[in-house]
Amino acid sequence: MSSSSAALRELQRDLENKANDLSKLQKDIAKNHQVRKKYTIQLGENELVLKELDLLNEDANVYKLIGPVLVKQDLAEANANVRKRIEYISAELKRLDSSLQDLEEKQHSKREAILKVQQRIQSHQAGKAKA
Amino acid sequence: MASSRGAGSQQVIRMADLEKMSLDQLKAVKEQADIEVNLLQDSLNNIRTATGRLENASAALHDLSLRPQGKKMLVPLTASLYVPGTLDDADKVLVDIGTGYFVEKTMSEGKDYCERKINLLKSNFDQLVEVASKKKTLADETGVVLQAKIKQLSPSS
Repeated sequence: MSSSSAALRELQRDLENKANDLSKLQKDIAKNHQVRKKYTIQLGENELVLKELDLLNEDANVYKLIGPVLVKQDLAEANANVRKRIEYISAELKRLDSSLQDLEEKQHSKREAILKVQQRIQSHQAGKAKA
Repeated sequence: MASSRGAGSQQVIRMADLEKMSLDQLKAVKEQADIEVNLLQDSLNNIRTATGRLENASAALHDLSLRPQGKKMLVPLTASLYVPGTLDDADKVLVDIGTGYFVEKTMSEGKDYCERKINLLKSNFDQLVEVASKKKTLADETGVVLQAKIKQLSPSS
């Protein structure tokens, strides 16, 4: 009888651990969404800037705000900078996408594992009640 | 059901589905729809504010273009400090195009820029209004079905 209650306690500890893992996974997923949102907004802004730069004549003056200083920049350089930034952000978003998929898969399988442990606990308790 | 909410996938929920759902599921759907409606309303408000600011900028530009060169004016150095100065060249304006980039444009190009941005925002606004009204309809329908179910389950007569 004591061995079955020890087994029950172990099952419950397992359940707790898995529940903690699940909540950590959910926090990670929420964080992923937040970072994703930020990057998506930045990407949109940079694309707008690129469009504006493309409309300019070759000799138009472009300035960049670096801290409190407005610095004159070459149009070609500005274009290159914005393009590089867009590339970087797109790569980050792709990375986030794949890690999000990974996290969601882990979350799904964690939920299934929790369900299984819960079922075992239930059957255990039912078994004890019979005895 | 949890996985369907995963990557922002759109759920098309029809009346027949709503009828089949349990009270709890209905409550969850309504809450979710209400949250989304609120988010969309916030976005709509943001767009309205931004459009208003752009229209102010456009009006200010227009006003500036009417002023002669050499006109005496007060230049803001901080929010509460102005210094007297004279208007130099009102034909060149610096436009903030985002991410810290400024472009020197002529007065007409600047006005054109404002117009373009205002039109872009207006079309975004219209698109959002459509989405928001669809979501609101869904939230309202869900509410109606929910009320009906509650009445069914607790006959007070």
